[in-house]
Amino acid sequence: MCGIVGYLGTSEAMPVLFNLLKRLEYRGYDSAGIAIMNESVETFKTRGSVDDLRSIAPDIKGCTGIGHTRWATHGKPSSENAHPHCDCTGSIAVVHNGIIENYIEIKGKLIDSGHEFRSETDTEVLPHLIEEYYDGDLESSVQNALSVVRGSYALAAVSADDPDKIVVARKDSPLVLGLGDGGFFVASDVSAILKYTKNVIFMDDEEIGTIKKDGISITTLKGVPVEKKIEMIEWDPESAEKSGYEHFMLKEIFEQPDIIRETFSGRISADGVDLGLTLPDVKRITIIACGTSYHAGLFGRYVIERFARIPVDVEIASEFRYTDPILDCGDLVIAITQSGETADTLAAIRESESKGCEKLGIVNVPGSSITRESQCIFTRAGPEVGVAATKSFTSQLAVLLLLAVQLGRQRKVLSTADANEFVYELKQMSGNIQRVLNDAPQIKECAELFAGADQCMFMGRGANYPIALEGALKLKEISYIPAEGFPAGELKHGPLSLIYDGVPVVAIATEDTVYDKVLGNIKEVKARGATVIGIANESDTEIEKYVDYVIRIPDANQWIAPVLSSVVLQLFAYYIAYYRGCEIDKPRNLAKSVTVE
Amino acid sequence: MKAVILAAGEGIRCRPLTFTRSKVMLPIANKPTIEYVVNALHDSGIVDIIMVVGYAKERIMNYFGNGKDFDVHIKYVEQKTQLGTAHAIKQVQNLVGDEFLVLNGDNLVSAKTIADITKKHTKDTSILTATRADTTGYALVVEKNEKAERIVEGLALKDVHNINTGIYIFGPDIFDAIEDTLQSDVGEFGITDSIQRMIDSGYDVHAYRTDHTWMDVMHSWNLLDVNARILEDIHGSVHGTVDGTIRGEVTVGSDSIIREGSHIIGPAVIGRDCDIGPNVVISPSTSIGNNVTIEPFTYIRNSVILDNVYIGSQSTIKNSIIGENNLIDSHFITESGKDLLIELEEMLYRADELGTVIGDNNIIGCDVSTAAGTLIGTECRIGTGTVITKQMPSHALVV
Repeated sequence: MCGIVGYLGTSEAMPVLFNLLKRLEYRGYDSAGIAIMNESVETFKTRGSVDDLRSIAPDIKGCTGIGHTRWATHGKPSSENAHPHCDCTGSIAVVHNGIIENYIEIKGKLIDSGHEFRSETDTEVLPHLIEEYYDGDLESSVQNALSVVRGSYALAAVSADDPDKIVVARKDSPLVLGLGDGGFFVASDVSAILKYTKNVIFMDDEEIGTIKKDGISITTLKGVPVEKKIEMIEWDPESAEKSGYEHFMLKEIFEQPDIIRETFSGRISADGVDLGLTLPDVKRITIIACGTSYHAGLFGRYVIERFARIPVDVEIASEFRYTDPILDCGDLVIAITQSGETADTLAAIRESESKGCEKLGIVNVPGSSITRESQCIFTRAGPEVGVAATKSFTSQLAVLLLLAVQLGRQRKVLSTADANEFVYELKQMSGNIQRVLNDAPQIKECAELFAGADQCMFMGRGANYPIALEGALKLKEISYIPAEGFPAGELKHGPLSLIYDGVPVVAIATEDTVYDKVLGNIKEVKARGATVIGIANESDTEIEKYVDYVIRIPDANQWIAPVLSSVVLQLFAYYIAYYRGCEIDKPRNLAKSVTVE
Repeated sequence: MKAVILAAGEGIRCRPLTFTRSKVMLPIANKPTIEYVVNALHDSGIVDIIMVVGYAKERIMNYFGNGKDFDVHIKYVEQKTQLGTAHAIKQVQNLVGDEFLVLNGDNLVSAKTIADITKKHTKDTSILTATRADTTGYALVVEKNEKAERIVEGLALKDVHNINTGIYIFGPDIFDAIEDTLQSDVGEFGITDSIQRMIDSGYDVHAYRTDHTWMDVMHSWNLLDVNARILEDIHGSVHGTVDGTIRGEVTVGSDSIIREGSHIIGPAVIGRDCDIGPNVVISPSTSIGNNVTIEPFTYIRNSVILDNVYIGSQSTIKNSIIGENNLIDSHFITESGKDLLIELEEMLYRADELGTVIGDNNIIGCDVSTAAGTLIGTECRIGTGTVITKQMPSHALVV
């Protein structure tokens, strides 16, 4: 997704901006640009990477500047469409993340009054609007310009006529300001500025900030001053480095034993599960999420319904919002989002609040938007940089297991003895993930055999069905092999026609109540020529008779085995992409946190 | 000066613990051995560290990251095949400056040890030596007035007690010597051969002796002695909940609970997220990792227990090492014995005192006993009521 950065301080701005932009690279982008204040506004932008930009930009002196990485939504990736965008005179420059919904209408009016546009973007209306309203004071001009804008934005603007000043504003797109020793920082994402300072201010919606040498002042869009809290961020930016691994994704996969122990730390003991918050007693739960988090939500449905006997609906946030959802006052709505900034998920949870629902977030990034709108359970996965979610997914599964047990105990559906027995199993999860990782070389060998596949199918039943979906998502997003996940029983209702000689089918066949059914489904695809890779328990002696290749996971409780299987599928996808020579950490067209709708 | 830590080898003599981790990651007082090396470098003011990794490198990289938490900068270089120390050092040729320090990741050292070579080093090559009464298994350094004359591998020499610590300072010339080094009979390129070449070609190779900390875990069971010695210096601190009693220096990690009636006598360390008791007794010189559960009425003495272990009630564990992710049901008894001969990889070795050493990921049923000096591999399934009297290979099924 687009990222914006800014710097105003005592050092040269250019190297700082490049550094900030590099740290936003993981969000995914196709072009980049910067503007430096040096009497006039000097703007450089290009299609390509931050390093490409660095190679074309001359060394410009100046201690104030803004920068941008663009992920194309309105207008193709090109140097013209890259930010910063300027007004007609080139003295006002703006970087923007978000979407201006009424830009066509505004653009028309501005053209009528003589403004000349150079790009196809929605953003370009902003500098021209600011120019239109310009009265010598950048802050009030931005304020007036935003009063006619509809949509979402995190923006930063500079003006040659009002130097030593950056004006920022936010609505529905993340924006954070950093207060360091040598100056002030602006970024879309707190991880970008942590190298420079741990003291940050999170901007809230409909706020405008003015950054000057002597400090930061923040007002509402209407100009009412706002008192903001300076927060200390404990996250370590350096932990977001590859430290020896070839890719972030592999590093993050291998971190999972530690992460899972962290997720459980202080939350489970022989006394049961304690998430440290009181959960409301509800009749119905709706889980809202997108992408990988949606798959975690589907898993959540199986475990919550099993352990707590509460009916659960799982909804894709971008669909849920627009369906006029039927929610009852007092229902519990759980939003699952790694970043805490996913635009559709945030909008959906606001929608449910307006209907009087209880809200709960399951989130990884501390201080993110959702944590300021809802009580949250943190997954404690640490910064995740690989676009393909791995440790954030398994830690979400772990939190959902805890949530299910706590709800089950609270409703007395689950006995203390059963809960204790389950805690005993949970305490082994970290070690069992380590055991799966110990077998990475075998998974790598298996993946090599299928690196040339032109499609792949994943199937599972029950709680393994979401794991099959996630396995398919991992594979398609990083290796570009078309892959689909199905509930194994659904094959004969359509997908079976995709099977021909040699098509790889990954079947999750771990011991549970539907194990025999899955074996039946394996026979169905085998009979039609598929090559089957079975994921099975280590003690399973039957499976070899049914499948072509077996990948083993430790014997574990049937509700914990899906977590282990998903680690297998992460490695499987990683190694296939590796053998295909794909850009694993930055798959084409994808962005890490999807902050636009 | 940059430092190069050699951490690529498995450490076959430390099996079964090294089946799943490299020797440098064996825990001493709940910290991997190599962390003591990193800390000693840091305390010596050497913060640019290159780790040569290979076998089970992920565990090392996960633990140290880029070194920020340890206040140093760490770069990793992979030695893809373990072809000896000279080959390992060759991997860093383009990363080190004019002079660099080389250490083994599996030897415990202190900043004072490092000063014994860095303060004296003048030019060309320096070797740090230590004196040992029993030099079995070490390379010997024959020196006169701190000048090395000969390095001898695999032999005992009369009246020579100077052993090679594997700590060196090299200049760029070492890489020429490495180029000329021949492969040994076992297929490795040893750095001692390269150094011998330098001596033979007339370079100044100095040998300095240290009397400060230099400890080697040669076999897995030596971990118990080294652990006990390091625990002597700890200062206890309690971050978890202690409802039982503790005596002496005991560290209890965050979110760990020591339940009523349990009694812990230091020195001992207990990691994070542990659940111990009620009524568990832990005697001195014991290290317990993270996420370990110990059920009531179990007694543990002079032992090292790694992460994610479950130990059932009424068990007795003495002078033993238990690897990660072991599930041990109730009434597990380790016999302990003295002056044992232990068979490992078709060789016999002596152990002064030992109960048992268990690798990772085993499942052990109720009422299992192990005879003194038995080693159990990884991924074994040991059935209820069995008595283990001989070495168990990995993936063994015992009923």
